[in-house]
This record gives sequence, structure tokens and C-alpha cells, in this order.
Amino acid sequence: MNNYGYLGIDVGSISTNGVIISPEGEVLHEIYLRGKGNPIESVQLCLAQLTAELPDSFRIKGVCTTGSGRILAGAVVGADVIKNEISAHARAALHLYPDVLTIFEIGGQDSKVTILRDGAVVDFSMNLVCAAGTGSFLDSQARRLNITIQELSSRAMTSANPTNIAGRCTVFAESDMIHKQQIGHDQKDIMMGLCHALVRNYLSNVCNGKEIKPPIVLQGGVSANNGICRAFKEALQCDIIIPPYNMVMGAYGAAIIAGKSCLEKTKFRGKEVSTHHIITKGFECGDCPNNCEIIEIIDDDKLIGRTGGRCGKWEGKTGTRESLKRTGPAGPVSGHSTDRQMEDKTCKQVDNVPDLIQIGIPKN
Amino acid sequence: MTYMAIPNIGNYTIALATAVESLGIKAWASTATTPEALKLGIDAAPESVCLPLKAHLGHFIEADRAGVEYAFMVNSVGTCRLRYYRHMIGQILKDMGLKIKIFGLGFDGFKPPIVRYFDPGPITFLKPLFHTVLKIKVIDELEVASWRTRAIEITPGDTTRVMNKLLLELSKSKTMAGTRAIRKKVAGCFAGIPADKEKKPLKVGLVGEISFLRDKCLNKNIEYILGSQGIELRNFFLLGEELKNISRIVLLNQNRRKSLSRIADLYLQCSVGGHALDSVAHSIHCADEGYDGMVHLCPAGCMPEVSVRPILKRVSKDKDIPILEMSYDEHTEGVGVATRLEAFADVLMERRKNTSLTR
Repeated sequence: MNNYGYLGIDVGSISTNGVIISPEGEVLHEIYLRGKGNPIESVQLCLAQLTAELPDSFRIKGVCTTGSGRILAGAVVGADVIKNEISAHARAALHLYPDVLTIFEIGGQDSKVTILRDGAVVDFSMNLVCAAGTGSFLDSQARRLNITIQELSSRAMTSANPTNIAGRCTVFAESDMIHKQQIGHDQKDIMMGLCHALVRNYLSNVCNGKEIKPPIVLQGGVSANNGICRAFKEALQCDIIIPPYNMVMGAYGAAIIAGKSCLEKTKFRGKEVSTHHIITKGFECGDCPNNCEIIEIIDDDKLIGRTGGRCGKWEGKTGTRESLKRTGPAGPVSGHSTDRQMEDKTCKQVDNVPDLIQIGIPKN
Repeated sequence: MTYMAIPNIGNYTIALATAVESLGIKAWASTATTPEALKLGIDAAPESVCLPLKAHLGHFIEADRAGVEYAFMVNSVGTCRLRYYRHMIGQILKDMGLKIKIFGLGFDGFKPPIVRYFDPGPITFLKPLFHTVLKIKVIDELEVASWRTRAIEITPGDTTRVMNKLLLELSKSKTMAGTRAIRKKVAGCFAGIPADKEKKPLKVGLVGEISFLRDKCLNKNIEYILGSQGIELRNFFLLGEELKNISRIVLLNQNRRKSLSRIADLYLQCSVGGHALDSVAHSIHCADEGYDGMVHLCPAGCMPEVSVRPILKRVSKDKDIPILEMSYDEHTEGVGVATRLEAFADVLMERRKNTSLTR
């Protein structure tokens, strides 16, 4: 066994996942944690549990974070690469199944479809302004029926005669479910009907106009639900592949990206980060009427990064507040490594420009 | 001093502010809707109207709070809801008991009511209008230069800073001579930005609803996000072009819409209102011109843009050009927008690599 590897962390809306891979791309350790509303703690916990089983000589040579909390997580652990989750998921699926043509990914609050041809992503689509048909909905319905999500999955599989449930909107689906339950439909049929409704909604909304071709890989948190897999198989009349690390594919992809990005020296802050006391502090920038709320991430009194600005002058920088104030828009908005100090020597004379120009403020 | 609130249409607000001076009063606006204004608008407007109306409404409420007495809102002659914006906004403001008086750009005789009301002298009236046209031309040039330079700049943010500096100077410029001097500087300023001239950036066209194409608060700074990922943009709303179009209709009876419908003829034979025909025609045009992709900005519930969405999907398939659909409402998060755009940039990059391999 090699004594080094790469770490990928996926901070999603519902869960925080971590994967450590060997340089060859094999998964050494994986972890799936349901988030408890505090991404920083979740990331620390995730890191602690992942590294607990590793020998002391094991070194992490690269870190990549992904998911909606990628920037915050990247600042906390010291990420080398920060990547969007669509690319991360596609990378992981391609690694396991090089000939995959379609990836379905249903997570806690968003669902995506990725179309691949000849081993490259050619198209993708993400749910737009509606979260109907995502994991959160299944979760809340399971809670309403007072069963766990695992139970929902296993019971739905036993249904022979699924109920038809309106799946256009989660609220209507819920009232339809209550209606069906009141007129005496069996609970397991309602559950399977719910899975069918979710899949129908997904196929008609997210996959609308996309060319769905097998082999299809289904991943993300919801893929652990057998009812959903069955509904997909019945709706598309073809086999659906559930990859072995289906729950943590985002983190796996991130780790692969970290492994492939030829890093010379990692910015990883070490596994001790999990024991640090990390807090965030917010303040209003006030340089222009946008009044962005800037979040400072502070690790044991030491500032390690900032997020939340629009113009990019705060993002990921660790200089003092006074030195950054009124420096004008500069630097990347997102998607780049944190902790990169910008050298603004070339354009010094044009500083002090706000992001937004106001015209004619009455003096009163 | 009397102030008049005018709609925010991105950087062009600077030029329109000069136009207001022709009435002998001053403009009150900013180059992007402030988050505070948006919040006010969302609270005051009916829930299901499109986001641009909420943004404009919020802007006028904010203006009223700042002590502005008058407001101005365009009425489009198009078939989308923009036509009713003035009436809707006026009514909501009245219901809220605000004192601000709202004008439209309507004719009911020789002089529009707004001109009759303020009754400026002929010289006061005409001079700022020429100045406005000049400023619009300068802003057009600035926009075009920034799309190109931002994709190839070496230090991220340089282009934005140069651009903002010039815009600030432009907004302070009071004379035609001053504006002409700025215009002369534009090319030099952008050429002075250290850039990788050899780089062949990805080219992406931006189409969709105009408020979203222009207002960086509404579109979550899409031009900046795309540009800083090394993508060269073409935003299909330039006010100068629109003005040329109007003068062409008036003088030569040549409608740009006719040439657009000729391009879009295979897919869309009638105008569906707003800038929807433009979206289709420009997408086809860009595909033929060899653009790498398109981004379609559409507020949730915008009738014209929503109706052309299936058409754009077909165009995307027929012409083999990826079109990213962005749907915005007040709950749209900057992170979500950035995620989609980043992934889109990855897709375009991989496509380009693959096509260059097969060739």
C-alpha cells in the first residue's frame, strides 16, 4: 500500500461526504454523514472520522472540495482545487464506467442529468427554480408517514400495484398522497407511487429534451433508495447502474480531480484541523450600495479566508480588513483556489472603484 | 434640485441620467439594482410577477424614501408585460401611499406629457440628448472591449477595474468634449491591460430578457463569472444598436426585426413579444458563426422567453450548439448560478478539445 493519497470532500445540502483515494484511484476510505446544519462541524467530523483509521505516515497530497458548500469547506481544510459538483460527479462515473452515456444524479435539494458522449460531458441540466422530486421531498414524506427513509425504500419494493400519484409539484403530490391514503390505498403502494411520481417529474422536467441513452448511472443520495431505482427501470425500460460508491460519488470525483491536477505542494492544513475551534464572523462591507455581507472564517484567532462578496475583493483573501477595504473589484468570484493573494501592482492607479455606481443621491 | 428616478438598465443608466438633464432636472439611479431595493420590491409586488418588475418597483420605492419626487418608466410597445409596468408600478406605489409621481413615455399630441410638465427650453432640451447618444456609443464601445479583454486578461479583475474607472469618469462628464476625450481613451486603456494575446478563448453568446442581460444584481454578475473563467462574451443587448434600430424604422422603414425573422424563419414565424425572437435568431446566428455555446437568461414566468425555450432546445440539437438555460427568480442563489456556469465552461472546454482531436 502506498503511503499517500488524495482527499475529496463534498459538502451538499443534506450530507457531507468524504473520500480518500490511492494514487491509482481506488477508494481507501469513504464516509457519508448527514449534515446537522453546521457545515464547518460536519467537515471537521468528516475529516476526523476519515483520518482516524489512517497510519501516521500516510500523507495527503491533494485536496479538492465540491458541492454547494465547497468554498467554505475549501477554506476550512485548505483545498488545492475547488470544483463544481457536476464535473466532480461526471469524473467519478467516468472513472468507474468509461463508456457511460448518461448520469442521473439526485441529491438532497437538486437533481441533475449529465449527458456524455465518447467519455466527455457534452450537455447537462439541473433543476431550475423548483426542488420537486429531490431527496428532501422523499425525506419529509417518510417523516410524515413516520417511517425511516430506509423503510420507505424497502417497503416500496414490495408493492405489486403502485398507486398513481400526481407528481407535478411536491405540495400537490402531498395532498394527493393524503387523499389516496384516506380512501384506503395500501401504504406500500402509495410509497411506490411516490417513487414513480418523483421519477416521472424528474424525467419530464430535468431530462426534458435530452437524449437519454443507456448505459445510465444513477448516483447521489437518492440512489440508495431501491424504490427509485425500480421506478427508473420501469419508466425507461432499461437497466440502471448503481455504482459501488453511489452515495459519495461527488467526493470520489473530487478526490480524482485532486489526484489528476499535478499538484506540487498541497495547501491541506493537516488532519489536526478537525480539532481546531473554527468560527465564522460576519460584517457588512459597505463600500458600495450592494452592502455585501462578508463572512470571515477564523481558526483559533487566525483568519483563514473570507466568503460572501460579490465583486471578488474579499473572496479567499486573508489580509486585514483595512487593507482590503475600498480596493475595488478584483480577483475571482468563485471556482478558484482560496488563499490566493492577488497582486494588483499593474492597475494600482485605478483603485477605489465601487462595484456599483450611484447617480444623483440627494443630500439630505 | 429636483430629482427623477429612472429605471436601472446596467451601465446605460449613466447615459440615461444625462438624458434626464434635458428636462432641467437630475436623475436618481444606479448601475445595478441594490439588494435593498430588490427586497423592497419583492415585498410590495404580487408574488407571481416577473423579477424585473419587482426590481424596478423596489428601485422606485427606494427613490421615494430618499426624497425623490418623480419617476420615469418606459412603456414598451412590445407584447410582453413590460407594457403594463408603468401602470402596475404606478398603481402599487399609489396603493402604498407613496408620493412619488410616475411618468411614462407616451404621446398624446405634439409634446409628450413628461416634456409638457417640466417644459424645458429648446436648448436645455436638445443638448443633453445629443450628449446621451454620444455616451451610449461610448458605453457600447466599453462593453464590447470588456467582453473581449476580460477573457484574456492575466490578472483577474483588471478589466473590471479599468471599465469601472472609465464608467465613473463618464458618469461625471458634463460636457460633450469631456465625453469625447473619454471615448478616445477607451481603446488605449483596454490595450494597456496585460493580456495573453495568443489565447483563443471560448466564445459564448448571452441572449434573453433585457433587464437580466443588463442588471448585474439580477443576473448575479454573469458577465463577470463567465469572463473570469476565460470566456469571451457577446451580450446581445446593446442600447446603441437598439437606437439605430429605432432610427432605421423611423427614417428608412427598415425593421431589424424583419432581418431577425428571416434568420429565425425555420423555427419561429411570428414575434412572441419581448426579445424572444431575438433570442432565437441570435442563437441560430451564433451557431453559424462558430460560437462555442449560448446562455439564455430567462426570469421565471417571463412569457416570451419561456415560450421560445423549447425552440431553443431544437436549435441546440439541430445546430449542435450547447445552450444553457438559466431561470431566475428572487430565490436564485449566486452559488447555484456560479455552479451551472462553471460546469458549462467545463463542458465547452471538453467539447473544444474533442473536436480539435478529431480534426
